[in-house]
Amino acid sequence: MQQYILRRLIGAVFVIFLTGTFMFFMLRLLPGDPAAASLGLDAGSISPEALEARNAELGLDQPAYQQYANWLWDTVRLDLGSPFSKRGVTVWYEIGRSLPYSIELSILIMIVGFSVAIPIGLLSAIYQDRWVDYVLRTLAILALAAPVFWTAAIATLAVLQWELFTIDVIAQPHFWEDPGAAFTWYLVPMFAGGFAGTAATMRLLRSQMLEVLRQDYVRTARAKGLRESLVITRHALRNALVPVLTVMGVTLATIIGSQVILENMFNIPGIGNKIISAFFGRDYPVVQALVLLIAVFVVVTNFVVDILYGIIDPRIRFS
Amino acid sequence: MNRSAGQITAPLGEPTALSRLAVGLRALGSFIRHKPLGSVGLFIVLLFCVLAVLADVIGRHDPDTIFEGSNPDYKADPTTLELARNPDIGSPVIVEQFLEPSGKHWFGTDKFGRDIYAQVVHGSRLSLIVGLGASVIAVVGGLIIGMLSAYYSGVVDLFIQRLIDMLQAIPFLILVFALTQITEASVLNMVLWLGIAGFAITTRLIRSAVLSVRESEFVTAAKVIGASDLRIMVRHVLPNVGAVLIITFSIGIGAYILAEASLSFLGAGAQGVPSWGKMVQAGRASLDLHPWLTVFAGAAITVIVLGFNLLGDALRDVLDPRLRGV
Repeated sequence: MQQYILRRLIGAVFVIFLTGTFMFFMLRLLPGDPAAASLGLDAGSISPEALEARNAELGLDQPAYQQYANWLWDTVRLDLGSPFSKRGVTVWYEIGRSLPYSIELSILIMIVGFSVAIPIGLLSAIYQDRWVDYVLRTLAILALAAPVFWTAAIATLAVLQWELFTIDVIAQPHFWEDPGAAFTWYLVPMFAGGFAGTAATMRLLRSQMLEVLRQDYVRTARAKGLRESLVITRHALRNALVPVLTVMGVTLATIIGSQVILENMFNIPGIGNKIISAFFGRDYPVVQALVLLIAVFVVVTNFVVDILYGIIDPRIRFS
Repeated sequence: MNRSAGQITAPLGEPTALSRLAVGLRALGSFIRHKPLGSVGLFIVLLFCVLAVLADVIGRHDPDTIFEGSNPDYKADPTTLELARNPDIGSPVIVEQFLEPSGKHWFGTDKFGRDIYAQVVHGSRLSLIVGLGASVIAVVGGLIIGMLSAYYSGVVDLFIQRLIDMLQAIPFLILVFALTQITEASVLNMVLWLGIAGFAITTRLIRSAVLSVRESEFVTAAKVIGASDLRIMVRHVLPNVGAVLIITFSIGIGAYILAEASLSFLGAGAQGVPSWGKMVQAGRASLDLHPWLTVFAGAAITVIVLGFNLLGDALRDVLDPRLRGV
């Protein structure tokens, strides 16, 4: 077990290192001049001297291997540098600003996703191969098929047309600052994102339920005359939920960096939105740091879930 | 030909081989009976294939044509003041932008006076090319890497596994977005990058399929009689992972189409061709005034992805019941 944990840990660190290296060299392949972009100008409209000075200031005048070595050494010491596009702040400050928004949105999306997926998965397993099952599964696949930018746009239109509530995309409040405004701001994206992610969870729960409902202990529970509702909730659902809950952690980790489009549409200054705008502005340190941050999230949650799985279920042997 | 009812064409007692067509038709019939949802998916997919192939006929108009009509406010010699109020007043024709859906323009026109119905029909080409192309690349690449990785376990396998972990640690959309930024925004590059980003998932699925086949007795038997690695892979392993290949291929398509639409929506899509994602993006700002700009293109994305997902699910059930619900 200890050996397994150690090996997984080394693997996890290696994956994070690979991700950082990959992003570093991928960014250097991009067309466009980051020094000019950091000044908000085209490369042609700046004097060569000024461009050279800016390059030296950003450390871009050094050869690539030197830049890479610097980046690696800085990152190991958790020094993520400063954004090219902003003076006087560090990349850590940018992360601290955008991460809370992404976490808020992701948790809301997860709440919506799971509270829709669990009853739907349950019903569709109980009424397997009957019309309820077909309708619910089709709806889940439909929600998966509809692009979020389209459903979110139409939902926004409905809100505006019927004057249900106002959506303020300028103020950007956190929940702890102004719960009401934050809630109306997050409402459309959280439902659009939540519905889109329902299908995966629903399918997992459905197949788990179908398997559990065929187990001997469920037949025993029925045979001793237990009410069907109790059989379902107490005996079947509890066991079927275990794998569903274990994917929750991994789901949250992947959702955090994946809400690019919703963040973009609703002007939520989260991680995904930052990465895209930093890409367009060729702001290397910001892109590198944020992608690395997401990778760390994903790798660490995967690692923790795998280890926990082994502790919870002793039948899983590590090799 | 006057054939009476009940006449037996083949002599009794002699078994007749069914033609390939008949076998195929029977398989199709059984698929439609047992997988109604999958059949709906198949129908949708075929429909969009027809749209894409016959887009020039079905589309009614050219998607790039700018429609112009006579200007109702036209005045031959406008004064400077009138021109300042209405810059178009001096020209007898005017771009027919934002026309509502009508008999001439079934889905209306966009900001540049182009026919939206024609654009939606022609947009099916990009979606199908991107979806099918990216999935082919992902499956072929995944097959080669997955087989190598599974067959030569050890350091190579370990390294490939970590590379795949890396690809999966970056959110798919951000990964594709990053890759598309390297090259110019053409359809071919889009297909390539989407397929390469899809490697991670296909490689993993195919690798585990190959791993399970590798343990089977017929592979051991082949090894014992001295078959080469290449022969074992091509003659023994490959035919047994065929179902997984078809499933991986068909299930990926919808995801690639959605990713393409999302990239176009973000402004990183292929340039110069009608794209549903771009259309939704263009219409979003004036959704309340001209909903037809957004609604039809978004509906097209939804329906085609739904079709591929339904078909993929049904194929998975039919070809490999063990994978059900994965």
